Amino acid sequence: MNHITLIWIIAEKDLRIEYRSRQQAFLTTLFFALLILVIFIFAFDPGSRATRDASPGILWVALLFPGVIQLNRSFQTEIEEGTLCGMILSPVDRGVLFLGKLVANWIFLVIIDLLILLAFVIFFNFAFSSQLLWIVLLIVLASVGITGVGTLFAAMVSSIHTREVLLPILLFPILVPIILAALSGTQEILIREQMQSLNRSIQLLVGFDVIFLAAGFLLFEYVVGD
Amino acid sequence: MSWEIEHILTRSAARYLRITGWLLIPLYFLMVLALYGAFLYAPTEKVMGEVQRIFYFHVGAAWNAFLAFFGVFLGGLAYLITRKQWWDHLAAASAEIGVVFTTIVLTTGPIWAKPVWNTWWPWGDPRVMTTMVLWLIYIAYLILRSSLPEGEKKYRYCAVFGIIGFLDVPIVWFSIRWWRTIHPLVITGTGAQLEPEMIHALVVSVITFTLLYLSLLMLRMAMRLNSSLAEEVGQRLLEERVERV
Repeated sequence: MNHITLIWIIAEKDLRIEYRSRQQAFLTTLFFALLILVIFIFAFDPGSRATRDASPGILWVALLFPGVIQLNRSFQTEIEEGTLCGMILSPVDRGVLFLGKLVANWIFLVIIDLLILLAFVIFFNFAFSSQLLWIVLLIVLASVGITGVGTLFAAMVSSIHTREVLLPILLFPILVPIILAALSGTQEILIREQMQSLNRSIQLLVGFDVIFLAAGFLLFEYVVGD
Repeated sequence: MSWEIEHILTRSAARYLRITGWLLIPLYFLMVLALYGAFLYAPTEKVMGEVQRIFYFHVGAAWNAFLAFFGVFLGGLAYLITRKQWWDHLAAASAEIGVVFTTIVLTTGPIWAKPVWNTWWPWGDPRVMTTMVLWLIYIAYLILRSSLPEGEKKYRYCAVFGIIGFLDVPIVWFSIRWWRTIHPLVITGTGAQLEPEMIHALVVSVITFTLLYLSLLMLRMAMRLNSSLAEEVGQRLLEERVERV
């Protein structure tokens, strides 16, 4: 079997587990994101100019926190069921294992994020225009970097009992470049409605994705270890 | 019985303590010199006034912070390659010192920034923001350290995080600088040209701080070696007692 097939087998396993557990974690995460949005709506007057200016920040807060919960889940079930050992013992390269988990996490994250974006557009009264596709692109790109480091760190904290708190503490400071690039891109689209520096955001996101993916890929071997 | 290993360990801990002792002698004189340089030798800055003198300690501490975090990176990388615990001791000791000095940077900064820039915390400045993120990363490192049980796995995880954290810093700096350019400029340059006396005082201060870092590092290394030795001895005594029963 070639590597792509192996990666997909691992990713598909995770997706199937999630599907068969009646999307429990998925829906909980989504609900959490909705709550964040609702709290922001309570905090700011939805019609005002100030809220509109703050809306890219609100969107990314609502995307990031639930994303961390989802990442935490990815190794939790493996640890609980003792299947991580089995995966490590299977004749698969560690890099393939990492990419398999990453692809599953990435798919989850993108689906959740798109649903959050939908809720965001409705709650904050933005128009459904072609500009939203650019935000979708930013989400898809940012998710690559987030899951790149996120999968690595999730594997690290999975055996620690304070993992729920620990993962965001480890992840967010490292992800500052991704968050900044995605945030400024979203600001360009939603507030300034100009596309010049959006290109730059996208280029930077791609660059950061490559760096974080490479870091995760190379260091994963040392995390799963023996 | 391999009491020899422990013997070597205690000896090396004692060696670090001895090095610390020797470092303290030049450090004492250098500190007096650095204080003299910062408060008496260097002229008062024309625009900023006396408050500018905090600069000598601010820069010294910042230099130490980066040095220490390079130590974390180096220790982590060397640990992953050699798997010798000594490197983990180096990384751990460096991280602790680094956090202390970053905290000094982040407290001396606002004291200077308030009268000069009229703001405690200029969020637009890439240096300020990067230092803040650096501080968060290494606090996270220490939290990770304390949440993992002692053992080889802990050293590996901390090494991985230390390496990523260090490589992240230039990227953070770059992204913040880029991000700032599309935001209103709060501060346009520090502007101050340094007098030769100021540079002398700064150089002395940086050398002093470097020595301070080294002696603190030796002290913490000795402490760590001793504590891992104490643990080992305790473990062995327990095993011997179990064998006897």
